Amino acid sequence: MLQKKICMLGSFSVGKTSLVRRFVESLFSEAYQTSIGVKVDKKVVHVNNEDVTLVLWDIHGEDVYQKIHMSYLRGMSGYLLVIDGTRRQTLEDALALNQRVMQEVGKVPAILVLNKSDLVDRWEIDSDRESELSAAGWIILRTSAKTGASVEQLFSQLAAATLTE
Amino acid sequence: MADQAHRRAPDNQTEENPSANNHAYEELRHLIIAPEQEELADIQERLDDRARRTRDVSSVVAEAISMRRDQHGERALAQALAPTVQETLRESVRHDPHPLADALFPVMGPAIRKSISEALRGMLESFNEALEHSLSARGIKWRIEALRTGKPFAEIVLMHSLLFRVEQVFLIHRHTGLVLSHVVARQVATQDASLVAGMLSAIQQFVRDSFDSKNEESLDSLNVGELEVWIEEGPDAVLAAVIRGHAPSDYRLTMKEALEEIQQRYSSALENFKGDAAPFLSAEEPLIRLLAARHREPAAKKRPSAALATLAILGVLLVAYFGYSMYLRYEWSRFLHAVRGQPGIVVISYGREGGRYHIQGFKDPLAPDPNTLLKQAGLDPQNAQFDLAPYYSLDDSMVAQRARQLLHPPEGVTLSENHGELHVEGTASPQWISRVQERAPYIAGVASVDTSHLQNSHLLQLNAPKSAVESVILVFPIGRAELEAGQENTFAQIQKGIREIVYRASRLGEQTTVELTGHSDSTGIEGTNMLLSQERADNIRGALVRGGAPAANLHTRGVGATQPLRPEDTEESRRLNRSVTFRITFTPPSSGN
Ligand SMILES: Nc1nc2c(ncn2[C@@H]2O[C@H](COP(=O)(O)OP(=O)(O)O)[C@@H](O)[C@H]2O)c(=O)[nH]1
Ligand SMILES: [Mg+2]
Repeated sequence: MLQKKICMLGSFSVGKTSLVRRFVESLFSEAYQTSIGVKVDKKVVHVNNEDVTLVLWDIHGEDVYQKIHMSYLRGMSGYLLVIDGTRRQTLEDALALNQRVMQEVGKVPAILVLNKSDLVDRWEIDSDRESELSAAGWIILRTSAKTGASVEQLFSQLAAATLTE
Repeated sequence: MADQAHRRAPDNQTEENPSANNHAYEELRHLIIAPEQEELADIQERLDDRARRTRDVSSVVAEAISMRRDQHGERALAQALAPTVQETLRESVRHDPHPLADALFPVMGPAIRKSISEALRGMLESFNEALEHSLSARGIKWRIEALRTGKPFAEIVLMHSLLFRVEQVFLIHRHTGLVLSHVVARQVATQDASLVAGMLSAIQQFVRDSFDSKNEESLDSLNVGELEVWIEEGPDAVLAAVIRGHAPSDYRLTMKEALEEIQQRYSSALENFKGDAAPFLSAEEPLIRLLAARHREPAAKKRPSAALATLAILGVLLVAYFGYSMYLRYEWSRFLHAVRGQPGIVVISYGREGGRYHIQGFKDPLAPDPNTLLKQAGLDPQNAQFDLAPYYSLDDSMVAQRARQLLHPPEGVTLSENHGELHVEGTASPQWISRVQERAPYIAGVASVDTSHLQNSHLLQLNAPKSAVESVILVFPIGRAELEAGQENTFAQIQKGIREIVYRASRLGEQTTVELTGHSDSTGIEGTNMLLSQERADNIRGALVRGGAPAANLHTRGVGATQPLRPEDTEESRRLNRSVTFRITFTPPSSGN
């Protein structure tokens, strides 16, 4: 069976762990995340008539106190750049983080995840900005870890992207 | 055309024209040396043009080196090249150590291992030998001896430490942290291999990042509860073995060996790994070999049944010995507990030495012999050695015992001790009493003596006359301080009794005190009653003194109606409360008050 290392990236509290928690098998406690900055989970998805094991590295969100261990990104086949749609700043931070990721590992398939889509009335990302980003080449998906909307699709789509690489 | 002209010229102009002559000479010279000159120019150019020279040398350099080596042996060439090669290697490592390390890995591993295993072999051999001996009949004899003498059974511990089990082995792709292969021992519950592999490499990465980013060396083992995870890293692959128990350090060599083999065999698959573990199916075989490397049983291979039987006997003996020694230990701890609770013995330290218990501390000379305590506990005094220095215990019971030994109290006297105060109670001769009062304060642990409950035995003969006097009540009419009529006889008896008591007591060395207490009934005014009762007592005292009683020994007090002899419910009770009563005490003159 194929395995792919996938990283969950994004600022603190955008919902990375929630997205992972909703659809994966977990073995390790979340305490690992605070102690070593990453927790490894797994999700098997079925794409192109094939089962693919996504080994998800849920990397502790970057904030002023904690920087991401860039070496955790080594060998990844793709990543989810997660932002919180109700906090515009998380988008800018994610794009800045993306610059550093590209420097570190080069170009690999990625999806820009606008999470917390259930909170429409507090949404801060306008559609102009969104189309601007698609024009720049981003695959964008709106998800909600709370309702589960588009979460399955998110992982399958990224898995498919890693297969065509 | 020009050529033809030049060639013709010497024929016509050789003689008459010197310049024409000259020209002809030039032409001739040219004809003779031009080809050489051109060649020379070409050679010159060759020498001057760096690129051409390089090209020329490059075409023969390999042959030249090879020829040179054939001619003069390797030494000259090697000596010439050595500094450059060294410099090159140094530069390569300085620039990036990985290519060289990766290239050398398959070579260096076995080389290093070989030199280490040379060093280890001696050790292992003696170790194996020790193990074989321990399973032989002689070994058992040694062991029993070791047990009997109570020596530390290091050998057993050593053997115990050889027992281990490899429960799982992971082959992990180093770059991605993805699992390439995973084998599990029978009856071992496992978790998802890809998660474990991922987390292991995350932890590796974390350790590398956190502690020394320059040094590629990283974590080579970690503890997870009862399990140990041994990690061995190669350039592209990582081996992780999950081990229960203590693996011997040479298991690491086994791991290194397996990893090198895998690195070599799968080098291109490892480099091109994109998540498909299929090429690594056959890598299970070396992993299974790692799994199989459990405890060594060298003797078992030779004579399995004999060794097994020996092991079984050894096992039974061990269990029996452990059981017995546990029992003994339990008994000993009980004994130690008892000794510690024993007044007069202080245990400072204890331990086992050469199979005997060694107990050090202090012992009061009066405390029981610890050997007796041992026997009482059913333990063999042979197994114990006491090293107890004498001291005086201040424990109450020990002080009382010491006082008893020094004072020899007669029958009817009890001694007790309470925080430094010695209580003496009962009846004893005046000599003994004075001895107690004199000596007791010098006894270690005695700070003061209380003899208030100690009675002079000689005064016993005065008890009858004393109680006769003390039982008398002299009564008075209402509001008066003179005796009611009809008590003259009684008064005379009292007078006689007191005189006799004082006299006889003084002959026994005792001073007598007679206390007269005046009472009144509760009618009348309080103040008046006090005065009236005092007056009644004083009157009786006066009468007694007049009758010959020693005035110094008689004391009076009036208590009014405050201490009625009877509750005043009848006229008769009220009458008895208008009275004077007597109390007689003796005091040895030496004790002063
Ligand atoms: N309403 C809503 N809340 C979410 C969603 N995803 C995450 N959250 C909440 O956002 C907070 C942070 O989520 P977490 O997964 O821990 O963020 P992480 O730091 O990126 O791992 C938590 O309180 C989540 O319950 C979502 O899709 N909708
Ligand atoms: Mg999280």
